[in-house]
Amino acid sequence: MNKTVLWQLLMFVLLLLLQVWLFNNIHLFGVATPFVYLYFTIKLPAKMNRNTVLLLSALLGLLIDLLGFTLGLNMSVMVIVGFLRFYLLKLFEPRDIYGDYVPSIETLGNPVFMRYAGVMTAIQVIILHLVESFAVFDPVQLLLRIVSSFILTLLLIWGIESCTTSLSERESRH
Amino acid sequence: MKNLINFILNHVHWLLFSFLTFSSSCLLIHNNEFQRSKYLVIFQEIEGRICLISNGVESYINLKTINTELMGRIAVLEREARDYKQKAETLSKQFFPMEAPEYENLYPDAFNFIQARVVNNRISRMDNNYITLNKGSLAGVREDMGVMSPGGIVGVVINVTPHFSKVIPILNPKYQPSCKLKRTGYFGNLLWDGKDSRYISLKELPLHATFNIGDTIVTSGYSMVFPEGVPVGTVEDAFKQKGGNYNSLKIKLFTNFNALSEVLIVVNTLKEEQLNVERDSDE
Repeated sequence: MNKTVLWQLLMFVLLLLLQVWLFNNIHLFGVATPFVYLYFTIKLPAKMNRNTVLLLSALLGLLIDLLGFTLGLNMSVMVIVGFLRFYLLKLFEPRDIYGDYVPSIETLGNPVFMRYAGVMTAIQVIILHLVESFAVFDPVQLLLRIVSSFILTLLLIWGIESCTTSLSERESRH
Repeated sequence: MKNLINFILNHVHWLLFSFLTFSSSCLLIHNNEFQRSKYLVIFQEIEGRICLISNGVESYINLKTINTELMGRIAVLEREARDYKQKAETLSKQFFPMEAPEYENLYPDAFNFIQARVVNNRISRMDNNYITLNKGSLAGVREDMGVMSPGGIVGVVINVTPHFSKVIPILNPKYQPSCKLKRTGYFGNLLWDGKDSRYISLKELPLHATFNIGDTIVTSGYSMVFPEGVPVGTVEDAFKQKGGNYNSLKIKLFTNFNALSEVLIVVNTLKEEQLNVERDSDE
């Protein structure tokens, strides 16, 4: 097992537990809930087998559903996001990158990475809230929740990404 | 054929995507429609087990807030307890004033009390009234223990199972405890006539015994079941018993048997000792 796989495994477990025990319970201003577990799918290596990406994302969603009593909700969202990731990466990928890489601020640059993460988050948050409010439909509240959750999630993802970037920079300097 | 297989292999992610979407949608719909139903028993079992663990962790994380809440609650309850203690003292002074029985003063912890709740109360039949309490032998209840309400006497335990006890109330002619006039000390037996659950008769009171309407009747303390001086009721009326040298008093009961819920079971810790000494002197 190389370092990347270990790191991904750690991220998987960490994000799962954090999402279930911490982030799911946050309702900032009564509307905004961060869905940071998406960070796992965002950070999978770009050239990873599409089926593997899909299965891993679905598994993460399923586990979050099992622990959070929302059977099927996060899984369906993660299946869609995991599927679309391939096309999004293709869309945002700079022309001068060759071979495999892990999407990050380092490899893609801040603006490209944030655009990529932003679109992923937007898709996830929109689908999540649409599926969730299947029965009760209150457009204003729904929009408010989507926008606020999107901002919060993206901010957190950006924070985590910046932290790991500076960490790895420090590591490489030593 | 080869082309077809190639096509499928090239687009296997579509198949996977469709399958996963389908299964997750199924989960979603099933979960919403038949939540916790038998279709998901196995899933729910696993989920339950995982949740048990995650709940444990969650409750550990919440311990601090719960602690503060509990401390606040304890403070309120403590304040309340102090208030009640004061109230109880004033009340007991009303019920057991200066002439409090010496017996109690000598052995202040001779009588303990077990709190219990009435779970069945049949006060209607002439001679078949019984009360069931929610405490039994596991809580230390034994046969022949007295039962009193905060207001006054209720009855005596006649039957005990591990979790329940059956009480024969004074509103049952089979139980005739000995009671006395608090002021003068003359005693007689309580007997219910089966008519009104608010009144009871004190029979066999000697004709020469003096009493006033409104006098308080208390337990005599001869039976080891009740401490001396447990309030019973007040004298409402008096009759001469037929063909005898006795009076019969109509007593208005302190205990409201129609709204009985919380009771105290009286534990006489010196009962064995008293029985022993009596048996020894008999022999």
